[in-house]
Amino acid sequence: MKSSTFLSIFVGGYLVIFFGYLFGPLILMSITAFNSSQFPRVAPWDCFTFEWFGELAADDKLLDGLGNSFIIAGGVVVISVMIGLAGALMLTQVWPRARPWYYTIVISPILVPGVVLGISTLLFWDRLGVMVDASYDSVFYNGTFLTVLGQSTFISAYCMLVFISRLQRFDPALEEAALDLGATHVQTFRKIMLPFLYPAIGSAAVLAFLASFENYNTTVFTIVAESTLTTVLANQVRYGINPSISALAVIIVALTIVGAIAHEAMRRREELKVRRGELTDTSSAFGNFMQGWLSGNPAMILLMLVFVAGLGTVWFSSQYSAGQCKLDLREQKELLQQRQGPDIFLPGSDAGSDTPALEDGATDGGLDNNSGFGGVFDPNNLEQAPTDADTPSDGEGAGAESPGSSTFGDVFAPDNLNEEPQ
Amino acid sequence: MNVFKNFFDKHGLIVGGYLIFAVSFWILILILLPQLNMLDFSFRFNLPPSKVGGPEDVYTASNYTFLMGRYNHEDVWVWNSTDLTVFYRTILAAVFVTFFDLLLCYPIAYFLAQVARGGFARLLVLSLVVPFWVNEILRAFAFRILFGDVGVINATLKSMGIIDDSIDFIREDIALYAGLGYAYILLMIFPIYNAIESLDKNQIEAARDLGSPWWRIHWRVVIPFAKPGITSGCTMVFMLSAGALAAPQILGGPSSLWFTQLIYQWFNTGGNWPRGSAYAIILLASCIIFVLLMMRLFKVKLGEIGR
Repeated sequence: MKSSTFLSIFVGGYLVIFFGYLFGPLILMSITAFNSSQFPRVAPWDCFTFEWFGELAADDKLLDGLGNSFIIAGGVVVISVMIGLAGALMLTQVWPRARPWYYTIVISPILVPGVVLGISTLLFWDRLGVMVDASYDSVFYNGTFLTVLGQSTFISAYCMLVFISRLQRFDPALEEAALDLGATHVQTFRKIMLPFLYPAIGSAAVLAFLASFENYNTTVFTIVAESTLTTVLANQVRYGINPSISALAVIIVALTIVGAIAHEAMRRREELKVRRGELTDTSSAFGNFMQGWLSGNPAMILLMLVFVAGLGTVWFSSQYSAGQCKLDLREQKELLQQRQGPDIFLPGSDAGSDTPALEDGATDGGLDNNSGFGGVFDPNNLEQAPTDADTPSDGEGAGAESPGSSTFGDVFAPDNLNEEPQ
Repeated sequence: MNVFKNFFDKHGLIVGGYLIFAVSFWILILILLPQLNMLDFSFRFNLPPSKVGGPEDVYTASNYTFLMGRYNHEDVWVWNSTDLTVFYRTILAAVFVTFFDLLLCYPIAYFLAQVARGGFARLLVLSLVVPFWVNEILRAFAFRILFGDVGVINATLKSMGIIDDSIDFIREDIALYAGLGYAYILLMIFPIYNAIESLDKNQIEAARDLGSPWWRIHWRVVIPFAKPGITSGCTMVFMLSAGALAAPQILGGPSSLWFTQLIYQWFNTGGNWPRGSAYAIILLASCIIFVLLMMRLFKVKLGEIGR
């Protein structure tokens, strides 16, 4: 069938494009975390390095925000799971005429822009604070408290949806039977309803944690004077980017993948257990486990691959030193510059500081020359350039002549932005 | 009171009390009162704390009309063209992002629901979820690396000799659209997937047996059936991308603002909270109106979505 092969090629191509779009950005970002260049990039590869992870670990602001994020996420998990559970249980209790209204109101926070939720929470507690004449370090102006409430507004709705889908499979006869047999309401709730909902509580809690952890739109308004991981990150990304953010992304992506795979494996094992339990009760626990582990589950195989890759990385990093590579790279660069001959903006011997960051270069230039324009107007610049250009082979001498003409430090050195050797 | 008595009889005091307390806390303290308070706040002048509650603290619609324009000191009406442009561009761009996501996601949702089987389908779902849980900021950051001036795409195009100078994807807002579309893929796929999954395969088989080409099967059988799912996916993507803040802040071009950024500015650098809340309400209201209009246009009832 010709048309079917055509179709399958089409579908395959589409899948490749789709998942390329889905994973390409994340993979490229992860790669940049291991490049020693100051700007996160893949194309001109400098040196393989782990230094950005070290820089990440030394970033106090980020760690501070991370701590706050954890505290907030903890609070949100507790509040949202409780509210979401109550909201789902109430859905069947509200009398039918009011049910659509109830549902619309509690589901609306999902659709309302996070910005609006953040603002309304901030304003509401601000006004309450004014009403009771609270001081500025009271709870009404506390960023953590406001953020927990602001995020819970819509995360509770997520949790509620999780509970609703679980409750749809609940058999109300169980509850009635317990009550008939003399259990109290609290007992019924604790012994029948809650155990039935345990899996849903688990997934609602995970969902709430993740949603809280990655939230920005609401948090940026309610956090007031404090900071969370996302607000710190947003500030860093907006005012200049460097690969330590990529390093953080690598960690988060890795954790997400491992978490997702572990979740999938767990679900699969549970399903297998159910299926096997129906067929035979005799298979040994170990056999069960091994079969669950390796029964052609792609997720499990992927997890193994991730594990092996992790081990490989650890081994590699113990064998390899980034410092040596950087030294080599610097030598190469110097050599290249000497061969090309000096450019007005390309001091040969000043490159010793190993691809300085833009700002560093700029301040250096400003300090070296007290005039605002550095040495741009130095007459020697113009005199030297043509003569040296005629003698490109005279590398060393030219390199020694030109350091004074380092007008803006390395700012305009083409190497800063584009390392591709010409 | 009878209602409450029945309720507590049915659930007992502790469980019933917990249900009532949690739900009313949610609805009143977290949802309704803050929104109403914001509405009230948006109709007030921006006064220093000492004057709040004084004789000058009266209601005004000026925060809303400010978006349209105002009378200058010579009493001539001046349209607020900057803000209006931002507003209309935001809505337009959100529509575009929604449409892009729909085109991209419908085939994959169909594939997942009707074609893919077993472990492969699971792996696909898993790989859809992973990018969604990576931080919003980091996703935007990834697109900045990709589309930046010396980013991967520019470098690739240059080395292949297709272009000589870097294309400024950020100024052209291409990076922003790609980043926003990326962020909400999952929210588009899952409603459509849910809808298509419940479609009986026999209907497709029947259409095929009767000689319908594949595109007509989709047009006449699958899409009408999946319309509620498509609507709820589009609604979510539209609302969220119109209300996005992080991606426009990071990926937006220097000359193009997103409406949420205006709100953010009124709250931070602008220091005019009432006007900021008026703008927030305008955003919320116009998004809702737009969604309702679209639903009227495509003949979808409100009750059908959100299932």
